[in-house]
Amino acid sequence: MKSMRVKLAMALIPLGIIIAAVPANTTKQYKLTAVQLLEEIKDGTQFFTPDAVAEMVIQKDPTLQLIDVRSKDEYEKFHLSGAINIPLSDILSPDNEYILDQDVKMNIFYSNGSTKANEAWMVLRQLGYENIYVLQGGMNYWAETIMNPEKPASSSPDDEFAKYDFRKGASSALGGGTLESTSGSVPSAPKPVIKKRPKKKRAAGGC
Amino acid sequence: MGPLVVYDIISANTNLLLAFIVGIGFGFVLESSGFSSSRTLAGMFYGYDTTVLKVFFTAAIVAMLGLLFFSLFGWIDLNLIYINPTFLWSAIVGGAIMGIGFILGGFCPGTAVCAFSIGKLDALMFIGGLIVGILIFTEGFPLWKGLFYAENMGTPTMDKFFGIPQGLFALLMILVAFGMFYVGDWAEKKFPRDEY
Repeated sequence: MKSMRVKLAMALIPLGIIIAAVPANTTKQYKLTAVQLLEEIKDGTQFFTPDAVAEMVIQKDPTLQLIDVRSKDEYEKFHLSGAINIPLSDILSPDNEYILDQDVKMNIFYSNGSTKANEAWMVLRQLGYENIYVLQGGMNYWAETIMNPEKPASSSPDDEFAKYDFRKGASSALGGGTLESTSGSVPSAPKPVIKKRPKKKRAAGGC
Repeated sequence: MGPLVVYDIISANTNLLLAFIVGIGFGFVLESSGFSSSRTLAGMFYGYDTTVLKVFFTAAIVAMLGLLFFSLFGWIDLNLIYINPTFLWSAIVGGAIMGIGFILGGFCPGTAVCAFSIGKLDALMFIGGLIVGILIFTEGFPLWKGLFYAENMGTPTMDKFFGIPQGLFALLMILVAFGMFYVGDWAEKKFPRDEY
């Protein structure tokens, strides 16, 4: 019994010294497999249309957090109202982790097009971050659709006009163009369809 | 790579199957360590038999080292390990009730089933009491709901609480465990019982 304990101590105490001496492994492992990520890309669940984002900006949706992933210079020249700047090269910096890895706000990335924003989304999504999205088409498409909406042809269906009205309204609310309504009321944009992803469960245990 | 079930490497059903096999091993070790004897278990309180302390402390430090090394090798992500959340008052009151039951009955829930499986009738009585306790708790839940959910501390761990690295805490824990083994030996000599 005694010798057993000495043997146990000889095995466990050195192991304990080793584990105390080495730094803890803090490497983030990819939480999504390549296949799961591909599925999400195929579904395009990460995209938010400019209309949906504009509506949230106008409504001052407190859960919205626009994140500009372009460089600091580009951000300072022009950025969407309320957006914060996290350049793509800095998205893994520990300083930004509390902004990006959380489950309260909806982080929507944007860049000039969709490419950089999508790259940011892909990297962070693989780390298992929730509530991260991409502004579809980026600032270019935003400018085209929201800031300078194109008047639909007179033969277009009603909802085209509704969309146009909303965009005109949004554009004027966000600083640009003048408000002229083509119909009586300004309809709200369609609610964004957000596909719920099943949350990863932790392994449960107990005595 | 791990936890296997979280990463969908194995299905929930396979996980249950593994739990079943591990559980048989657990029961076997419990029984062969003498945990099916209520006297061994109650001895922990009176000091004449500290098997419980030795077995569980050994299990804890071995499992702890295993997890830390697995994490070091990148085999398991410790952030995904389930940690039972701490509800402070539940833990205190529940711990007191469990402790009293432990001394009175001579079993904890797991060892009661272990002892019953080798045919001990006192264990059967204990399991009966356990079921009555479960009934009282669930039926009367509205009465103690406030206490039950009070003071939710999340999942604090000792190393974070003391602000020391995980590995260092592990080493201290191992040293404490071996120290406790000698305290156990001392207690067994100090409060001996001839026959139990």
